[in-house]
Amino acid sequence: MASRVLAQCVRSLARPSGRLSAGHLAVRAAVAPASATHRPFSFVSSNQRTRWLEQTRISSVGVLCRQYGDLPPLTLETIKDRVMYVLKLYDKINPEKLQTSSHFMKDLGLDSLDQVEIIMAMEDEFGFEIPDAEAEKLMSPEEIVQYIADKKDVYE
Amino acid sequence: MASTAASRAAAGATKVVKPIFSRDLDEAKRRVRELYRAWYREVPNTVSTFQLDITARQGRDKVREMFDKNKHVTDPRVIDMLVIKGKMELQETIHVWKQKTHMMRYFHETEAPRPADFLSKFYHGHDP
Repeated sequence: MASRVLAQCVRSLARPSGRLSAGHLAVRAAVAPASATHRPFSFVSSNQRTRWLEQTRISSVGVLCRQYGDLPPLTLETIKDRVMYVLKLYDKINPEKLQTSSHFMKDLGLDSLDQVEIIMAMEDEFGFEIPDAEAEKLMSPEEIVQYIADKKDVYE
Repeated sequence: MASTAASRAAAGATKVVKPIFSRDLDEAKRRVRELYRAWYREVPNTVSTFQLDITARQGRDKVREMFDKNKHVTDPRVIDMLVIKGKMELQETIHVWKQKTHMMRYFHETEAPRPADFLSKFYHGHDP
């Protein structure tokens, strides 16, 4: 436990200037007995505000969490919700008939150009390019969710 | 005679021609899809650059209409030729080598529609 805390403090020292003084404080706090590690951490993090500290501070103080310049992490549920939301907004799809496993061409009666438009809407939603060779195989919302999860390294 | 005609028809059906770009129908369809993507993304920029009086949705519907006009084509070389023509139009649109009138020509606003039913054709007259 103490070794892990020490390793994390050393990592904080490796970060660029401006935080070196606070980093020394963290090292000194880590040398103190292991039982008192929680309180010095919360004291230091309110001054330091580094991201790895929030991650180590298990569940105690979640209110002070800040995430700099990054979106919330993707999960399979959120990907599925977003994909279904975008599909429901598309005017050529009947929202009642839409399900995760419905095939675009066979069940929903769409064209290949409609499928291209859907894939482009997904590209705009998730912010990365889907090449046409792989896009022509994505024929249902289920497959789209799986493809995005593959590309974005989202797994259960 | 019938046998030679049949063999000639069979030979014509399996004649191998030099492809323009794509070797089979799938590759040609892939080019069509790429062109459609480029046009789809280009339409809002076109509407704002040329200051057209249409909405982006109308522009995209028109693009879809132009693509659907050639939906029935199955020959890869013909498809390639149409894709090349579409790319030329796209290049002229992106670089603003065209003008507003050229873009609005797609919408056939000033042309009178040809008479379709019998009575309209009758009133229109018979000019050989």
